[in-house]
Amino acid sequence: MNCFEHRTFNIERSTSNNECKARGARTSMFSVECSMFDVRTGFVVFLLSLSLLANAHAEPIRLTTDGALKRDPCFVENGAKLVYCYDEGPDLVRMLQMKMDDRTITPVFEDAGNRHNLEPAWSLDGKWIAYTQCTGNLTARLVIHNRAENTDAFITHPGRGGTRSPTFSPDSKTVVYAFAETGPQQLWSVDTAGKNKKQLTECSGITNWPTFTPDGKTIVFANSRENNYELYSVSPDGSNERRLTENTIMDIRPRLSPDGKRIAFVSTRDGNYEVYVMNLDGSHVQRITNSEERDDYPAWHSNGRQLVTVSERDGEFDLYLFDVEPTQLASRKIGTSLDVVPKP
Amino acid sequence: MIDFGSFKARDCGGSTRRSFLRTAAAVPVAMATGLPTPEAIAAAKSRAKAKSVILLWLWGGPSHIDLVDPKPDASMDYRGPFGTIDTRTTGMKFTELLPRMAARSDKFSVIRSMVNSNNGHPGAGTVGVTGFEELPGPVQPNFGAIVAKHRGQDGSLPPFFYVGRGIPRDLPRRIEGYGGGTLGKAYDPFLVSASDRGEVSIPTLKMMPNMSPGRISDRRQLLTQLDEERYRLDAAKVEEWGHKYQSAYGLLTSAEARAAFDLTQESKKTRSSYGRSTFGQGCLLARRLAEAGVPYVQVNWSEYVETFTPGGDWGWDTHIYNFELLQDRHGPIFDRAYSALLDDMTERGLMEDTLLIAMGEFGRTPRISNRAAREHWNQCYFSIWAGAGVQAGRVIGQSDPKGQRPVSRPITPLMAGTTIAELAGVGAQQRAELKVLDGGSVIDELF
Repeated sequence: MNCFEHRTFNIERSTSNNECKARGARTSMFSVECSMFDVRTGFVVFLLSLSLLANAHAEPIRLTTDGALKRDPCFVENGAKLVYCYDEGPDLVRMLQMKMDDRTITPVFEDAGNRHNLEPAWSLDGKWIAYTQCTGNLTARLVIHNRAENTDAFITHPGRGGTRSPTFSPDSKTVVYAFAETGPQQLWSVDTAGKNKKQLTECSGITNWPTFTPDGKTIVFANSRENNYELYSVSPDGSNERRLTENTIMDIRPRLSPDGKRIAFVSTRDGNYEVYVMNLDGSHVQRITNSEERDDYPAWHSNGRQLVTVSERDGEFDLYLFDVEPTQLASRKIGTSLDVVPKP
Repeated sequence: MIDFGSFKARDCGGSTRRSFLRTAAAVPVAMATGLPTPEAIAAAKSRAKAKSVILLWLWGGPSHIDLVDPKPDASMDYRGPFGTIDTRTTGMKFTELLPRMAARSDKFSVIRSMVNSNNGHPGAGTVGVTGFEELPGPVQPNFGAIVAKHRGQDGSLPPFFYVGRGIPRDLPRRIEGYGGGTLGKAYDPFLVSASDRGEVSIPTLKMMPNMSPGRISDRRQLLTQLDEERYRLDAAKVEEWGHKYQSAYGLLTSAEARAAFDLTQESKKTRSSYGRSTFGQGCLLARRLAEAGVPYVQVNWSEYVETFTPGGDWGWDTHIYNFELLQDRHGPIFDRAYSALLDDMTERGLMEDTLLIAMGEFGRTPRISNRAAREHWNQCYFSIWAGAGVQAGRVIGQSDPKGQRPVSRPITPLMAGTTIAELAGVGAQQRAELKVLDGGSVIDELF
C-alpha cells in the first residue's frame, strides 16, 4: 500500500538487480558493485584488483576519541561544522558542534539545561535548526529554532509521545518529521513558524526518517508495512512511490547525497548495523563499512564524497569519516584531495 | 579506579536532598550480626549448585515481542517493525536487534511464558524480585536477601550486591522489595556502581553521619589516599563513622574487595567487549564479584524505569519511542553486554556454578499503541536463564500468536525466585525455616 494516497507501489527493478541487493555488498569491502557481476570475468578481476589497490588506503578518519555513545551527526555550514549528539552522562543527551578545521567542540545551545536534545537538522539557508527535545516524562516536542532571532516554534501534542527525525525541505520553508498522533507513525509537515501542520502519509506500519532530494521533488523514507523497515521514495504530492529495498531485515536512516543521486542508509543485512550507499532508484548497493561492531547514523559531507558515521570500535562510539566512491565503478585513491583530511 | 564518592548534583551547600536520600537508600548491609557460622557457610556453599547468582534486572519492562519472542505472522498492529533472525536453537527466533545473543543461544534458555500479578512498576518490581505483592505486607525479601541470609558473608565481600546507580524506582517511588524485607535491613543489598568507563563507585561512602556536606570534601580527600596509605583508615578510627558504615570501609581495607572492584585489572579487550555503557561495565563488575565468591549480584539496567525523561537513565519503560530506542540504544547495548558476559564467564569456567538470569518486571503490550510504542504488559513476558545446570538451548513456554498470553504453563516470579533459591542451596527446608518463598515451586522445565 502506498503511504501517499494509497497508491500501489511497483518494484521497477530487474530480477538480477534484486539478487544483487539480496546479496547486499558482502564483498563490498573491496568496493565491488553489483553490476560488476554482469560483465566478463576477466574484466571483473581487473576491476577488483583496481578496487583493492584503491581501498588499501581507505582507512576512515576518526573525528572524536571520547568514546561516549553518540548519534545523529550532520554536516552544516557547507561542511565547516559537524553537529552531533552524545551522552554527556548516563542521563543526558547533549547536542554538540565540531569545527572541522581545528576540531574544537562546543555545545550547540549553551543553555540547554537537563533536557535531552537530539536529531538536529539544519536548513540549507542556515537560518533554522529543527530538533527533538525531551520536555518531560515520556514526552518530546519538535523545536524549530530561528537562529537570527533566537526564537523557537514548538510542535507539541497532548499526552505522551514525541516527534521524530525532522528534516528541512530544500527551500528551507518546511520541516517534515515523523509522529504518531492517533495510530501508525506518519510523516507530517509544518512551516518554520510552526504553522500549517499537515499529515503527509496515511499508511500502516511505522514511518520514519524522511529526507529530501536537493530539488525537493523526492522524499525518501523508511516504512515497516512489509514486516520490517524498507526504504521508499515518493514525490511530495504522494505520486511516484517506489520501493527501494527488499530485505527481511531493516533498512533505515536514509540520507540523500548533496547531489540527490545517492542514498546512504543503515542495514543489518550482513549481520549487524552497517552503512551502505545506493543510487536513488535503489540500484548499485555499495557497502561502506565493514565491522563486527556497529556502524550507524550516516550523514553526507557537503562534498558528496564522504560520509560521517557513528561507529563502535572496541566498544567505544566515535565519529568516523568514510570516503565514498564518487561514481559507479570508479576507483579512486582514498584519503586524498578531499575537503576533510586527517587532523595533523 | 574506585571512586569513594562524588556529588554530581550539587546545590550551593554542596549536596542535594536527593543525594542524601540516595545515600540513605544505599546503606550497606550490616553483615556482622546474625550470620551463619563459618562452618554453616561452607556447608551452605557446598550444597549450592549455583555458587553465585547474577540477575540482570531489565528495569522498566522490555518488550518481549521486539526482542526474544517475535511474532512475524501477527498483523501489522502487533508485530512491530523488526525482522526476525535465526538463532542456534531450533524453533527459537529473535528479532534482528539481538544478533550476538542469537549466535549464542545454545548457551542459554528462554522462558516465553512469564506472568506477573502486578502491572505497575514498583509493585511489579517487588513481585519480580520477591515473588510477592507489596500489600498487604509485610514486604517479602528480595531473592538476593534470601540467598544472603542463607549463605552469609564469606570473606570481606557482602553476600548481596546491587550494581547500578541506585535502588530501582520510577519517578514517584522505589521498589519496596529491593532488600531484606522480612529478613531485616541487615540483608539489604550493598550498592556499587560502574560508569560507562568502568569507574566503580560506592555510593554509601558518599555521605557519612554527623558530617556536613561542607566537610565531605575533606573526608573524600582523605579517602582518596587509601590507595597508597590504607593504614590511615585504621588510624582514623572507623568506629566513629558508625557501625553501619563499617562494611563499606571494611571493603576498602580488604585487598580482596578492592581487587574485585578494580576493573582496570581486566584487559582492554575484555573491558571493551562489554561495551561502553553503564550496564555493560556493570556486567563486568558482576562477573568479578561472582568470581570473588559473592553469592548474589543484581545488575540493574537503570535506576529509573522512565526511558525518556529529564534526568532519567533510559529504563526499558518505552511508552515513547519503543522501536527507536530499542534499535538505537537498548537492543545493541543489551545484546553486546549479555553476550560478553556469557562468553567471559564461559571462558573462565564460571558457568558451571554460576546462575545467570536476565528479566524485567513485565513485558509490553503486544498491540502497538496510538503513539507507535508499547505500554505495560504483565500477562506475558520473558526471562533468560543460563548456567548452574540449566539446560541450555531451549525455548521454555510458549506465548500465543500475538504474544498476549502464555499457551503453556505460566511461569511466575515466585517460581523464578524459588528456582534461584534452590540452585543457590536454599532448599525447601531452609526456605520454610526462613519463612520465605512460601508456595513457590521450581521451574522443572529448566533442567
